[in-house]
Amino acid sequence: MQHDNGLTVSLQSPSSGPRLLVVAGDLDHHTTPRLRAALDEVEFGPGADLVVDLSGLTFCDSTGIATLVAAHQRAADAAAALLLAGLNSDIARVFQIMGLDQLLRFYDSPEEAVRALSK
Amino acid sequence: MPLASSAEASRLAAVRRYAALETASGAAFDRVAALAARIFRAPFATVTIAGDDTVRVIAAHGLPPRRGLVESLCEAAVRHGGPYVVQDARLHPHAAGDPAVRGEPGIRFYAAALITTPDGEALGSVNVMDVRPREAGDEELACLRDLAGLVMDEFEVRLATHRTVEVERELRAGAERLARTLQRTLLPPALPRVPGLRAAAAYHPVSADEVGGDFYDLFPLDGDRWGFFLGDVCGKGAGAAALTSLVRYTLRAAAVYDADPHAVLANLDAVLQQEHAGGEAPAPYCTAVFGVLQPDGDGFGVTLATGGHPPALAVRANGAVEPIHPAGGQLIGILRNPHFAQVSARLNAGDALLLYTDGLTEARTPSGSMLDEDGLTAYLAAAGPTSADDLLTTVHDLITALGKGVSDDTAVLALSVPPATRTPSSGSLGAA
Repeated sequence: MQHDNGLTVSLQSPSSGPRLLVVAGDLDHHTTPRLRAALDEVEFGPGADLVVDLSGLTFCDSTGIATLVAAHQRAADAAAALLLAGLNSDIARVFQIMGLDQLLRFYDSPEEAVRALSK
Repeated sequence: MPLASSAEASRLAAVRRYAALETASGAAFDRVAALAARIFRAPFATVTIAGDDTVRVIAAHGLPPRRGLVESLCEAAVRHGGPYVVQDARLHPHAAGDPAVRGEPGIRFYAAALITTPDGEALGSVNVMDVRPREAGDEELACLRDLAGLVMDEFEVRLATHRTVEVERELRAGAERLARTLQRTLLPPALPRVPGLRAAAAYHPVSADEVGGDFYDLFPLDGDRWGFFLGDVCGKGAGAAALTSLVRYTLRAAAVYDADPHAVLANLDAVLQQEHAGGEAPAPYCTAVFGVLQPDGDGFGVTLATGGHPPALAVRANGAVEPIHPAGGQLIGILRNPHFAQVSARLNAGDALLLYTDGLTEARTPSGSMLDEDGLTAYLAAAGPTSADDLLTTVHDLITALGKGVSDDTAVLALSVPPATRTPSSGSLGAA
């Protein structure tokens, strides 16, 4: 199947609170390098967390999943949190079958993820 | 008159080498002919190639002269080996008797410049003809030579293109052969016969050219136990194929040392982690179900471990479809301290077990939603397959019905225990 939705990735760094990476479109082996490059730019550290807003994500293949897992591990190594927000139910289901729900924290919306971090 | 000599043989070899000449024609050559005619202020011009038994006119301007004349003059020009001019054809030994010279259109003047390959072989010529005897100026002949050079350049470009296409075609054919060969190594040629069990497997590729990373196997363990597995390596192509081989052989080898399904998956995880330690991100991984079958009465005990894989489905003798799925098994090969879950169940007489890869459950239904485990369960329950072969047919029908909704390869492994053969006395219809 052709996935023609492309991918947009934008990093928002508000003056307070965690950074927000907004990912929209299809995440496949053609587009994943763009997400990886954006994630590589993010420096993690204690309290320097990241919320990844995936509410605009329409497709996610194995390379996309591997990239998110790698970023999560890098964040964990730096004592930071990487939270996923807004996954659609199909992609959430795939993540759940892969057992990633035990590893990654999912939130319905970026706002909820940000609230969870401020607690 | 045919040209024949060893030099001619090498010239003809050059003509054949420019295989693209076989289809040589087109606007570029027509323009060359038109330009040649204009430069000489002559009514006729042609571009000709001297093959082994014919002279082919690949472009013509004005009234095309009779073939015989073109042939003899082009041959003469090629044999002459340089710019060739016949000032008055009526005085030329070969041309004087030609009908195109004696009658219409009354060709008198002929000039040709050779189309010569970089290694000096003449392929043919650019020719100009006039109906009055005349001389050819140096400037006109120089232009004619340049035009012949342009024709040669065009041939070179076409030859290079032709070769590139040929090379690409060969590379592609080679890659497809390799893919098919690799594909065969990834799947067992045939499943073994297991006493008291029926087993069937199928592979549904989305594309014939691209190797998927789906794999399965069924093989004997120690004693009367049997091992089986099915899984999916992330990615496609040669890299995924190589990883799939590693996964297959690791699973087989790991089961020899310790067939405990959980231990087998942990072993595979360790091998994959080592394989990609320090490698480029993202690390490839796989999902898999590994199981052990132990004969038990008229059925089998099954112990299953899964790592990040969709649930195996049992189709019970009474038609019920239920997952046999240990909760929480995680992806194999990329997580730190991954958890692999294990569960035990029984396959009784008449029960069947279906293992599949996510190409099936992630397929889109006509409504656009994902089929998912629920959709598959409902389809199986409605179809009511009663054996491994039946299950395979059912899944085949489903994949066919989903059509373009299926976007990834699907491997399917089905196991079933034949129904118990009932003796008449055991039935409820007692003898009256």
